[in-house]
Amino acid sequence: MAEKLLEVRSLTTGFAAGQGLVKAAEGVTISIDRGQTICLVGESGSGKSVTSLSIMRLVEFAGGMISEGSIRLGGEELTTKSQKEMSRIRGNKMAMIFQEPMSALNPVFSVGEQIAESIRLHQRTNAAEARRRAVDMLRLVGIPDPHIRAKQYPHELSGGMCQRVVIAIALACSPDLLIADEPTTALDVTVQAQILDLLRSLQRDLGMSILLITHDMGVAAQMADRIAVMYAGVIVEDGPAQDLFEHPAHPYTMGLLRSVPSMDGEREESLYTIPGTVPSLHQLPQGCRFHPRCQSAMARCAVESPPLEGVGPDHKTACWLYDNSAGSKEVLSK
Amino acid sequence: MTEYLIRRLVQSAVVMFLITVLTFGLIHSAPGGPTKVFLSPGLSQQAAKVQAEHLGLDRPIPEQYLKWVGGLLRGDLGYTFKNHLPVGDILWPTVGHTMVLMGAAWLLSLLIAIPWGVYNSTKEYGWSDQTASFISYIGFAMPTFWFGILLQELFALKLDWLPLSDMWSLDKEGQIGDLLLHLVLPVSVLTLGFLAGYVKYARTSMLEVLQQDYIRTARAKGIHEVRVVYRHGLRNALIPIITIIGLDLPILVGGATLTENVFNWPGMGRLFVEMALAREYSVLMAITLVTAFMVILGNLIADLLYALVDPRVQLGRKGGSTA
Repeated sequence: MAEKLLEVRSLTTGFAAGQGLVKAAEGVTISIDRGQTICLVGESGSGKSVTSLSIMRLVEFAGGMISEGSIRLGGEELTTKSQKEMSRIRGNKMAMIFQEPMSALNPVFSVGEQIAESIRLHQRTNAAEARRRAVDMLRLVGIPDPHIRAKQYPHELSGGMCQRVVIAIALACSPDLLIADEPTTALDVTVQAQILDLLRSLQRDLGMSILLITHDMGVAAQMADRIAVMYAGVIVEDGPAQDLFEHPAHPYTMGLLRSVPSMDGEREESLYTIPGTVPSLHQLPQGCRFHPRCQSAMARCAVESPPLEGVGPDHKTACWLYDNSAGSKEVLSK
Repeated sequence: MTEYLIRRLVQSAVVMFLITVLTFGLIHSAPGGPTKVFLSPGLSQQAAKVQAEHLGLDRPIPEQYLKWVGGLLRGDLGYTFKNHLPVGDILWPTVGHTMVLMGAAWLLSLLIAIPWGVYNSTKEYGWSDQTASFISYIGFAMPTFWFGILLQELFALKLDWLPLSDMWSLDKEGQIGDLLLHLVLPVSVLTLGFLAGYVKYARTSMLEVLQQDYIRTARAKGIHEVRVVYRHGLRNALIPIITIIGLDLPILVGGATLTENVFNWPGMGRLFVEMALAREYSVLMAITLVTAFMVILGNLIADLLYALVDPRVQLGRKGGSTA
């Protein structure tokens, strides 16, 4: 059994709204081994980003708060740390990259300065040494002429280049965990592949773990050792990537996989879409959150929400279809 | 950069030329323009003609204009009708006096407003933010002359802590300490006026910047919040603030008319009112020109500052380059 790097247990994050707390992520449990890549998959609004921001403890700056659960990084509990303590961990032991590389970089500092800042923040180096290492980082992420590029500003670089710089900033202090929130969504397809390749090769060389947030099953298939599927703030399925692709358990996962276009088969056929839309967090359905859109919904699904339970080795899902203990399987008439 | 500067200077020269035409044209087409006013009413026709000839008012307007502009180019702003004094001798000292007053108020208000507005953006709707809003409303709503009179009443007349008006006490002309005492009240009035806007601009600009993705990146790097705001945020927030400051620069010479009159400050604003009442057109034209010059200069300075804080602005190049 590999060493656990990150363990998130029953994490609930909410945003204050009116009197109550709107829970954008509820009871999220995931863990990542050292050197592993986990993909957190789901539609927009499913709570993937909130989960990742919670792990970084950045969600507080967006008006959210972690109301329950625990987050342990290398055995260290993060939820009880002050922001000041967190700032010694962020960018150092864990780092994050974002969706929009162009806007993720500060327009008024050169890219070299932005990388060097991260190095000087967490490690004892002088300015010249930090600058030299910033150039090394640019070379590492595959930017040609790193000496020249280091002096340039974000607006002088392309989107793909910017994302490489963002990655260089994130990896400058060799973090154990890299959280990548839709890192390729805003990029051209060819650039997407380059960035994913880069992440994979950097992971091999630096031995970090990656938590990759994506809505794209194709990206997950390329990258993930393990996949966790989120829907409306909860994890509905979690298992080894291959097993999950070959034997998806949750109807939502099945739906997601069916919505990926394939080159075989009739192309005139219209692409499968899951009927309905993701529910608003203000009006979550009773019982299983997916049941109003589910083809296999049963009477029970509208009443009780299913727990995340094992359906195979290391493979769990939250669905009553796999509950053999009790309860009727009478199909809900639709 | 140099090319850009030269182009801007040429443009500015053209604008200044147009302004001289406009200024001259306006003054001469105003009812009761120079030709009418400066001929004493009791004069006989013959004497009036002599006087007009003497003042050059009998010449065709374009000729008068050329003569005036020719003088300007030699640094000669003309002469007053009354007493025939050189306009420059009257005007330049008042420009200096106004700049002392306005410069002090303007610097003070920026030094207060920017840090305060930035702080308020990090504690939105906190007590400090609310206080700033309240002061801004007062600053916007209260007429400066009225506020000035209130301050005079309280601090000069009732409490007798500060001088009522003027720039120096009679026997202490040239002493810095005395000048500072005289500055307190008018500077307070003007600072409140400037502050009202600046503190709001700084706050809004910073609030917008704090929403940006790069601020989140900065936090994700593990930068301490204070540094996030003052290093990564402020540099960006200053960009729009600089525009406003640049546009306000001309106020440094021309903007304190009311305050200068209330406090009897020997500046250009007070001179303008005096000269308007006395119909000293050559002085009025000179004041208009100096103000226009400051507007142009202010814009130029703002553009140059822009390029200094924002690397995306490349003066003299069309658009930014992308690699």
